[in-house]
Amino acid sequence: MSEEIKKHRPPPDPNSAKYKLGQIAAKAYSDAQAAKDRGEPVGWCASNFPVEIPETLGLAVVYPENQAAGIAARGGGARLCEISEADGYSNDICAYARISLAYAKIKDAPEQNVPMPDFVLCCNNICNCMIKWYENLSRELNIPLIMIDIPFNPDYEVSDGELAYVKAQFWDAIHQLEALTGKKWSDERYREVMEYSGRTSRAWLAATACARYEPSPFNGFDLLNHMAVMVTARGKKEAAEAMETLLKEYEDNHEKGVSTFRAEEKYRIMFEGIACWPWLRVTSTGLKSRGINMVTTIYADAFGFIYKDFDDMCRAYCRVPNAINLELSRDKRIKLCRDNHVEGLLVHTNRSCKLWSGFMAEMSRQIGQACDIPVVSFDGDQADPRNFSEAQYDTRVQGLMEIMEARKEAM
Amino acid sequence: MTVQEHLSRFEAVAKDPAGQLKGHLAQGRKVVLTAPVYTPEEIIYAMGLVPMGAWGGDMELRRSKEYFPAFLCSIVQSIVELGMAGAYEGASAIVIPSLCDSLKVLGQNWKYAVPSIPFIPMTWPQNRTPDYARDFILAGYERLIRDLEAATGAVFEEERLEEAIRVYNDHDRAMRELAKVLAAHPEVSAAQRSAVFKSAWFMDKAEHTAWVTELLAALREAVVGPKKLPVVTTGVLADAPGITALLDEYGFTVAADDVAAESRQYRTDTPEGGAPLERLARKFQAMDCCSVLYDPQKRQVEHIVRLAKDSGAKAVVMLLTKFCDPEEFDAPLIKKACDAAGLPMVQIEVDRQMVNYGQARTMLETLRDTLTA
Ligand code: SF4
Ligand code: SF4
Repeated sequence: MSEEIKKHRPPPDPNSAKYKLGQIAAKAYSDAQAAKDRGEPVGWCASNFPVEIPETLGLAVVYPENQAAGIAARGGGARLCEISEADGYSNDICAYARISLAYAKIKDAPEQNVPMPDFVLCCNNICNCMIKWYENLSRELNIPLIMIDIPFNPDYEVSDGELAYVKAQFWDAIHQLEALTGKKWSDERYREVMEYSGRTSRAWLAATACARYEPSPFNGFDLLNHMAVMVTARGKKEAAEAMETLLKEYEDNHEKGVSTFRAEEKYRIMFEGIACWPWLRVTSTGLKSRGINMVTTIYADAFGFIYKDFDDMCRAYCRVPNAINLELSRDKRIKLCRDNHVEGLLVHTNRSCKLWSGFMAEMSRQIGQACDIPVVSFDGDQADPRNFSEAQYDTRVQGLMEIMEARKEAM
Repeated sequence: MTVQEHLSRFEAVAKDPAGQLKGHLAQGRKVVLTAPVYTPEEIIYAMGLVPMGAWGGDMELRRSKEYFPAFLCSIVQSIVELGMAGAYEGASAIVIPSLCDSLKVLGQNWKYAVPSIPFIPMTWPQNRTPDYARDFILAGYERLIRDLEAATGAVFEEERLEEAIRVYNDHDRAMRELAKVLAAHPEVSAAQRSAVFKSAWFMDKAEHTAWVTELLAALREAVVGPKKLPVVTTGVLADAPGITALLDEYGFTVAADDVAAESRQYRTDTPEGGAPLERLARKFQAMDCCSVLYDPQKRQVEHIVRLAKDSGAKAVVMLLTKFCDPEEFDAPLIKKACDAAGLPMVQIEVDRQMVNYGQARTMLETLRDTLTA
């Protein structure tokens, strides 16, 4: 059936942000494959590893988390998870890791292939699970592991001690990569990358901030798709241009009174957590059919990588979600809720992610209180389709809608 | 005292952390809780405070569910459960390190779940060997000391740390010696062995060393019991009474352990030379072979095989704490390495709410049969 629908769709407009962003994401994979074919070393890279480092050095990398999300979205999540489980990996382990470790073994997944790595780049600012996962990749594939440790910060601010530790490791990683690949760090090139990254980030922040308009000129699920570019390519010129196009489109939409949310926007919510990639359509339809637009997520804030120099960049990587304490995490979300007139919070309790889900209950209680909005959660998983129940999701979303409705009526 | 009398002393302490806490407080000493896996206890001790391990307890979880989703390990869950139930009341603070994702969130939840006992973070570097990591450890110590002073009113003096390091190094040595001696005394049950290790978390370390030394002396005089099947245990915890009872029932003896709450604590001494805080930092830098410490060479895997060989163990019993990421990632590699070395391994999933030991029983029974066939 989907084939039929596709046939009747108009061809995508090559000048649209959606098309450009899709191209960039696809090109990241084909560029890495091309580099591999030329005999250049290719890396597998953690999503919040400082992308500026491989970008400045001119090293091709792919992102296993992106790959796993792609595989999961296209229906391969359970198949790959089961391969890892057969090898003895517990199904309690993050599904991205299970998918990636399975891929490292079978080296083929039609849903999203990637070149096999010559080194891996790990950064644990999002979780320590990452360390274990990359250690195992490095051992199983017998390739070097370069690790930047960015500790979870129990404080609101980044201390001088943390900054010094992180900065020393950035340079250590750069020097290790230079020795490993023969590529050279160039300050000039770094400044360029920093500039593009800033431009891309500014456009992203401004585009996502268009959710302040009522109705919002976009469906928040768009952000989940565009995120890939923010993660992997924000230091590239094309990314900056595409994000600026996105911003323009959202502003235009607002002017014209249209939106990529193709339903009447009756309610506005914040979605908390990683998307359920295997159930993207179901989770999205469950909202849209009720006129609920997910106008914002923490990703809106998370990719604001705007910094003025190397130190400042190190600091930015210390402040990614999952590296920051409950209070700072909470305050960032409260700001998003307030700025974007959010009326409810839908929390994905993600079986894969202990860190993200681990203090979510208390944090969302505090957000609910501070913003005076209802909070509802559902159980799911970002990549293992077996950990999600459509019926539970539907009931919870219905419950959230009913509270929001009752509140509107009471006003 | 006979060996058995010595062992009962340890068992009484291991079974009654609440009584120990009360006892320390009654003596006018302040208590600081230390969460898994590694905290710089020496600093706490040097300030005249009693560090007491808080590794949760075997219990049903009720209120911790207000904070944690069900898929976090029962160690962090039961620590919060106990905290909310008031079991730790009287303690002046809790030190929680950042060594795994579940511990990171434990600290955050603690602040709201148990506001009466201040949370003090200890942030360790994972890239722990370079010199710059030492500076970061020292910055972490400074922060720890500041928070401890605020929470307890005690004062830190670096000279007193020298003495605390000596006490802890002595204890490390005594525990290593004990593990070795117990391997040659199969008449000491797995449950008793576990109690000696567990009691260390609740006692003043100088006192514990004295008790262990006396036990060692008694063991030297004791008649060695009949041979049993020597195994290596590995995991985070090995203190579940249901598990140690099964090990005993099927005729196993612990030849050596690689358990986080047991021997992993005592492998590394604080080195000599330099200022005490710096020496202590170097201790952490030298630690290795543990699932929560960055291990790019995966030395932990070979470590277990080597430990089994060196101790003459015939098999490895992995006690895998349910929902423990760090251990779950290592498990398949350890299994592979044991297979390659021709070393039988069983993997038993454990948690702190276990009531049904059927699976563990079957596995251990099968292992016994394989080893005695
Ligand atoms: S989903 Fe969570 S556990 Fe998995 S890689 Fe991402 S941050 Fe880590
Ligand atoms: S049992 Fe594992 S997951 Fe739980 S606190 Fe210990 S190391 Fe962390």
